[in-house]
Amino acid sequence: MMIEFLVLLIAAIFAGLLLHGLHRKIIARVQCRPGPPIWQEVLHTLKFSFKQTWIPKTASQVLYVAIVLIAIGIWVAALWVVATGATLLILFALYMLHKIVEHGTGLSSGSPYTKFGAIRSVMSAAAELPLLATVAIVCLFTETLSIGEIAAGNIAAWDTVAKDIATGNIVSWHILQWPLLIIAFPAAVSLYLLILSKAHYGPFSVIEAKELVSGYWTEHFGGWRALLNIATSLKTVVLLSAFVLVFIGAVPWWLVIILMIILLISVSFVCAATPMLNPYQVVTVQTVWTIVVVIYGAVVWLLKLGGLL
Amino acid sequence: MFEQRLIQLPFGDIVHSLSGYTVVLFAFAVMFVVLAIISLPEKPVDIVFGTDGYYTKEIPVDLMKFQRFMAIACGIATIGAITTGDVFNFTLFAAFIGILNVGIVAAVKNKPVLDAAFSYGLVIMMATVPLFAGAAIIGATCGTLSIGELMKAGIHAPIVAKLFLLVGVLGEGMAPFYIGKAEITRSPGAPYILMIHVSSLLLFLRAVEIFLMV
Repeated sequence: MMIEFLVLLIAAIFAGLLLHGLHRKIIARVQCRPGPPIWQEVLHTLKFSFKQTWIPKTASQVLYVAIVLIAIGIWVAALWVVATGATLLILFALYMLHKIVEHGTGLSSGSPYTKFGAIRSVMSAAAELPLLATVAIVCLFTETLSIGEIAAGNIAAWDTVAKDIATGNIVSWHILQWPLLIIAFPAAVSLYLLILSKAHYGPFSVIEAKELVSGYWTEHFGGWRALLNIATSLKTVVLLSAFVLVFIGAVPWWLVIILMIILLISVSFVCAATPMLNPYQVVTVQTVWTIVVVIYGAVVWLLKLGGLL
Repeated sequence: MFEQRLIQLPFGDIVHSLSGYTVVLFAFAVMFVVLAIISLPEKPVDIVFGTDGYYTKEIPVDLMKFQRFMAIACGIATIGAITTGDVFNFTLFAAFIGILNVGIVAAVKNKPVLDAAFSYGLVIMMATVPLFAGAAIIGATCGTLSIGELMKAGIHAPIVAKLFLLVGVLGEGMAPFYIGKAEITRSPGAPYILMIHVSSLLLFLRAVEIFLMV
């Protein structure tokens, strides 16, 4: 099991870096630029690994190093959670803890650029509230928090969709037994927004905006940046695969990869076509969406209480 | 729906325990307590106003020691809130975390920062009302405050009580209020300031588990 997970981990790191490269390539092509090769992020990470590495004189030295290791630890644990089909609640917790990593990375160096990146990271915590509502809505529909059970339930639900459509009679359709992508669509949009908010060069990427140089990780260079690149590549793989498993189902592994790429391409198009919002606009958009999802969750809960679900 | 308890320490009907979920939170809290113990603060870089120059601020040793003490105590209170099996103990730990969060900020000898700490203190005091009211309503309606007993089938805490608890926790974990004010840019001591956010977040995550379980 451990050997299998180790192989998966290495594959996920490379897949995540290639997905980041693909993201950059698509943005460039949309903007009529040739763009870097898709494996550019792999090359970047290797380059950073062999660059001279030290700790800035102004940094809180132990925190500066430890936060990078914690970032790796969090996303390796998150990959384990997704790979074993464990509880969605743990994935939610690990994602929330990533906020601390962003904040700690920014605060530890003593630089004002990284500090403002860190503050923006905590300000945009409004993005995590729809995630909580998403977990609650998924729990209300499926009565489980196990990613494995939710993914298996979705596969059965697609069969129901096929059978319902085959009957041709809309009145006899079992819409409440359809996959979560359809019946919990606002929750799916929430997770999609979360993936978008964590994508580089996106409308919500205020924490690493160019007016802050590179934002919260400006002062982490060389080997530290290589390790943070690895952590973010794992984060991308975990979030995309979690979306596929929770809202589409436990499809074959090759189809998971295809769906992850399709999802990423859509995110890249949004990033390429949308200007970066300012921090207040980011928080406003996230807060408005939180209200929408909470209202949807409340309606689902009331229907469940009334025995209609 | 929830994972089995991995570790249990029973005191009568109150069972202190760790599940797969709370083990993650516990490990994270312990890590940041250790970091607060062994880390020295950063030297914040600041611009000399009106020039191209910059300078680094030195943090006085007495300030560092006080912030470190508060951060360690806050981390230990957070561990208590994560592991406790009793709703009332959870509210006590939450109130404790709120006070210690204010202490970390109030250590800085800077008037705007102290003004902000006073405001946080008011929020935290107000938050204790819904926090303890939530626990009191659960105790009055269910006859027990043991999370283990409340998890059993047939006992459901009123939704109002759970919402009160959640509102109280949001007030005690002061990170969102702290971030909303400019004083954070004036407060040095990264390993200790970070504990405000660690404790607020972990308290919220534990409250989510209690909200879903009882």
